[in-house]
Amino acid sequence: MKGILKSVSQAKHGLMFIAPAVLILFVFSIVPIIIAFFISFTDLNLKGLADWSNISFIGFENYVELFSDELFHKSIYNTIFYVLIGVPLVIFFSLGIALLLNYGTSKLFTVFRAVYYMPSITNIIAVAVVWGYLYNTEYGLFNYLLSLLSADKIPWLTDPTIAKLSLIILAVWKGIGINMIIFLAALQGIPQSYYEAAKIDGANRFQTLFYVTIPLLRYATFFVTVTTLIGWMQFFEEPFVMTDGGPLDGTISIALFIYKNGFQFSEFGYAAAGSFILFIFIIVTTLVQFKVRKSDTEY
Amino acid sequence: MRKKSSIILGVCLLAISMVLGACSNSDNSSSDGSKEITVWAMGEEGKKLSELSKKFEEEHPDIKVNVQAIPWENAHDKLLTAVASQKGPDIVQLGTTWVPEFADAGALLDLSPHLEDYPEFKPDNYFEGAAESMTFNDEVIGVPWYVETRVLYYRTDLLKEAGYEEPPATWDELKEAATTLSDRGDDYYGLDIDQNDQITPFIFAWQNGYEIDAENNNLNFDSPEFREAMNYYHSYFEEGISQTTEGVDMVQAFKDGVKPMFFSGPWMINILNDQAPDLEGKWDVAVMPEKETNKSSIGGSNLSIFHNSENVDESLEFLSYMNEVETQLEWLEISNTLPSRVKAWEDPALSENKMLATFGEQLENTKAAPQLKEFEKIAQELLASIERINVGGADLDKELDDFSKKANEIIED
Repeated sequence: MKGILKSVSQAKHGLMFIAPAVLILFVFSIVPIIIAFFISFTDLNLKGLADWSNISFIGFENYVELFSDELFHKSIYNTIFYVLIGVPLVIFFSLGIALLLNYGTSKLFTVFRAVYYMPSITNIIAVAVVWGYLYNTEYGLFNYLLSLLSADKIPWLTDPTIAKLSLIILAVWKGIGINMIIFLAALQGIPQSYYEAAKIDGANRFQTLFYVTIPLLRYATFFVTVTTLIGWMQFFEEPFVMTDGGPLDGTISIALFIYKNGFQFSEFGYAAAGSFILFIFIIVTTLVQFKVRKSDTEY
Repeated sequence: MRKKSSIILGVCLLAISMVLGACSNSDNSSSDGSKEITVWAMGEEGKKLSELSKKFEEEHPDIKVNVQAIPWENAHDKLLTAVASQKGPDIVQLGTTWVPEFADAGALLDLSPHLEDYPEFKPDNYFEGAAESMTFNDEVIGVPWYVETRVLYYRTDLLKEAGYEEPPATWDELKEAATTLSDRGDDYYGLDIDQNDQITPFIFAWQNGYEIDAENNNLNFDSPEFREAMNYYHSYFEEGISQTTEGVDMVQAFKDGVKPMFFSGPWMINILNDQAPDLEGKWDVAVMPEKETNKSSIGGSNLSIFHNSENVDESLEFLSYMNEVETQLEWLEISNTLPSRVKAWEDPALSENKMLATFGEQLENTKAAPQLKEFEKIAQELLASIERINVGGADLDKELDDFSKKANEIIED
């Protein structure tokens, strides 16, 4: 006991610095997760929200119902579709752009850094309006450009599969910026001496890239992969503002499914059960990533 | 050192309490003894209501009205939060389809004890369909503020060209006219049906004699009347008379003549006048075509008092003022929404305006959306089923059987 007290008093400055973050994490993440877990075993709806005596415990009924809900199956399928295609694209493009931007330091490169970062700080509603016009089947820019090449009209947002791909394009465009910044920072943290050593050994550009740069980016790559994957599993904004889950439920994601049940139909218990399943998915994939990550070799 | 950290702690606490304090409602009685009532009004109405509430304040110097405009998109979430936190406004505007949901949650004050004191609230004052939305489980939980109904908008010139002097008056005529119009060419359509609109399928069904048996909790979605109406509805998409994809903006399509007919509410008059001024005189509105009846839907908004309002008397006063015939006519001028009071329609502003008079005529023959708290969910299921039929090519009978079963499950829960 005394030992603990002593170590606390020794670390009190450190603890003071992390206290706000821990407090916020606790109040806005841990507590809601625990509450959602309990709600998922009840039939909480608007009536229950107004008067807690209307809430009753229903065991696993929400979960059983979820597993037979075709819409939920569809949302899982769509989410996997988004993740499998979107995440590799985001990592590939953000790494690629970061590498290219890292080749120079002139004004032009700074401008392009801003250009690629811009989408991720643009308001999603504004993005939705503009991309809505771009994707419009009748008078959208994309189909106009295609018509110049005398290609057929593409139903960007009105065919279930193409709509999914359209949303992925939009989300990749929007998601590159933030990851690119992380890669850029990591690139600039690589000591010049490694490159000099590689040069002396006679490595060409590709060899330098594959044997020096990319291995040294492994922390950044791991971080970007984990956060991007978590972000994409919670894919929500794009279908919410662009398609509202349609056409034929072709773009509904798990997060959107949860939102609709919770806030449109006021089935909070059911939505909480859905969000808990999503939570488990995310935890499991993240743990798997930590497991399969190659043991750190020191360079 | 200790002093320093306690100062930091103090500052943190102060900051937190200020943030939290900003979230909670401020005290609602102001210093000079007058009471303040808060009104949540949605969408366009929210922006314009303060013009009217100023006049109310002039007449009632001891009551202050604080109007908060809430965009429709956020309204449902905001109301949910209000119900959960028990911190709502005094008066709230509710779209009629939301009334059952919030009434069922006990969020709305029962006005029955006050009915005698306020003659304006009498159900007889309102259109039948609107009066239906006043009650839920034998409680009076709101008064209709304004109404809307759907009618047929059509291009007079294009129908004339196709040989129709009069707007279609029956289902058969509508189908025939729409077919002729869509045969003008490949990219032309006869009638536009908004596939995202919840009430349109019900309008078709009501016209075909479909009814919900509310007493026995029977939705009747498996009745032949409903099935036949959906068949008719679907035929427009199947035969290419209506566009299955969203296509060009409706106003543009109407202007170009690509879609010469569509169903919509009174708001479209202004939109067409503003966005397509050169069309003036080339379009008109007509009451719904008839099958068994020519019923249309009645919607609009009610004003309700939040269940834990501390200013019930003042709120009642405001509600009563809003629903006087005179105020409603003034509101018509300000906001272009249609009065819910039947008596207001005798005013020349409405009876002598040919287009508005058509709406008045249609309002005589309307039904409100079913008073079910699960309506939103059922309507969404129906729209999803119809989309699978129209766009996905699913079998109509099978889809509707599934839908009927699902809808029954939803209300049994």
